[in-house]
Amino acid sequence: MRTDVLHAWRLARVDLKLLGRNTTALFTVMLMPLLFAWLYTSAVDGEMAGLPARTFVLTGLPGMMLAFAVFINLVNSFTARREELVLKRLRGGQSSAVAIFGGPGLASLIVYLFQVALVVVWLRGDDGAMPANLPMMLLAAVLGTAVFALLAAAFSGLTPNAEMAQILVLPVLIVAVVLAPLMTTLDMMPEPMRVIATFMPVTAVAEMMRTGYTGMDLFGAPGGPIGMAEQWLQALPSLGVLAVWVVIAAVLARWLFRWDPRRG
Amino acid sequence: MTTEQLVADAGTGLDGAIRVAELRQNYGAFEAVRGISFEVRSGELFALLGTNGAGKTTTMEVLEGYARPAGGSVEVLGLDPVRDRRALRPRIGIMLQEAGFLGDLTVAETVAMGLGLVADTGRTPMDGDPLAAVGLTGKARTRVRQLSGGEKRRLDLALAILSRPEVLFLDEPTTGMDPAARQATWKVIGDLRERGTTVLLTTHYLEEAERLADRLAIMHGGLIHTYGTVEEVVATTGDQISFRLPYSVEDLPVVGGAAPVVRYAEGRTEAAYTVYGGTERSHAALRPLLSWADRHELTLERLEVRPGTLEDVFLRVVEESK
Repeated sequence: MRTDVLHAWRLARVDLKLLGRNTTALFTVMLMPLLFAWLYTSAVDGEMAGLPARTFVLTGLPGMMLAFAVFINLVNSFTARREELVLKRLRGGQSSAVAIFGGPGLASLIVYLFQVALVVVWLRGDDGAMPANLPMMLLAAVLGTAVFALLAAAFSGLTPNAEMAQILVLPVLIVAVVLAPLMTTLDMMPEPMRVIATFMPVTAVAEMMRTGYTGMDLFGAPGGPIGMAEQWLQALPSLGVLAVWVVIAAVLARWLFRWDPRRG
Repeated sequence: MTTEQLVADAGTGLDGAIRVAELRQNYGAFEAVRGISFEVRSGELFALLGTNGAGKTTTMEVLEGYARPAGGSVEVLGLDPVRDRRALRPRIGIMLQEAGFLGDLTVAETVAMGLGLVADTGRTPMDGDPLAAVGLTGKARTRVRQLSGGEKRRLDLALAILSRPEVLFLDEPTTGMDPAARQATWKVIGDLRERGTTVLLTTHYLEEAERLADRLAIMHGGLIHTYGTVEEVVATTGDQISFRLPYSVEDLPVVGGAAPVVRYAEGRTEAAYTVYGGTERSHAALRPLLSWADRHELTLERLEVRPGTLEDVFLRVVEESK
């Protein structure tokens, strides 16, 4: 176990080093959350769920950003590395499968946290507030990254090459963008959409991030400010949704992931 | 050596670093390995030779733990390569026939990553500079994607030996290398042997096997056809007598108990005999051949008598399997 953690950390550092050498990717990582923040906040005005609309949108943004920072990034990475036989080399080395997956997953988490931090800085500039429940925001980030990293491993198994990955990620991307309660609360969504969105990981992450930042009950139907213990209590259904998604994504990854390129 | 003997060998060797017994492996309906058995003793270099598609790499990959065997059993250092992966991996080194690198890392960074991964397992990495060992010191700061094919193979070798492995798997290690790099690689392998490393090698270069291997097996069509020391394997073929005639000639004689293998090309006749039983028998076979040529007033152009080689055995195995 200790070796797996050390190896995952070492592989994550390598991934971050490679990111640092890829100017385009680095620019995208830094610019994307700011672009989203500008795009969505410029489309809203007034109040939502008892918050300034801009704050409401920005605090939910990290839910949707998972699809970009973690999912797309890792589907591309796993597919390209499989086709270039890098995964085969790693699998033939000292590291376990857990570490080989964990390394890029950890690097994605770090990149994602950096992007969330950029959004928080933007929020601070807007309303001057500090996150009310940082551990909840961190837990949402960790569980959300785990779900989307495992889904990425599964999807990479369906993807014949890195070029096709751009197309095959679209359904997940669309679901994440459409069903994330970004511009509205869950209770304002039309009925069939609301039911589906309730059980989506992006919703769980968005609501935990939102409540974690504002200290208000923003799970499902919005409520007023609540204490720390109440925040965790209200977060239990979202934590349950994320836990179930971790299991589903792990089963899919185990079933669909491929170490070797497709032959023929 | 019969299959029964091979199985017996694989099952009873006391110091076998690698044991393969009745190994079978399939790719869908295609049977890539069809029940092979052999043993590699501790500290020896064993070479698997064979044509493309003979099943060498498939055998290696089963031993390296990449795949479970479809039938039979394998052991490396007494462990199951798949079930005991965690215990086995720090003790073995693998140089795959083909594997990718993270191309944007430098050569030095790639080795540093490998060393770190070895150190994290609690194993002491190799002494000295791995890049110096494979002659890549001058390329330390070069991005891996800028290396030539031969240089990448050398980097591959450096990564395979970082953990000072007890067993080293080398799948066509010198493919794409220039002669100097090949010599350097042979030296690295020789040094590892001196330290007691067991090596399982596959290669297309027969001189590489002749030079390095203690024992070898020749595979074709998923089976082992010949197995033993280089001398034992070469002894399975006889001396080669060959000549050329400027016309098409039929009814060449049988000499030394051997019928000729004849090839007609551009009006010429090329004939070759394989005579078993040593130099005396070959010498004796020449007399009736020369008499036959005298009687027919023929000159045997390019007459040559030479001992059999590993290449002769290899070609015979391929020919007999057709």
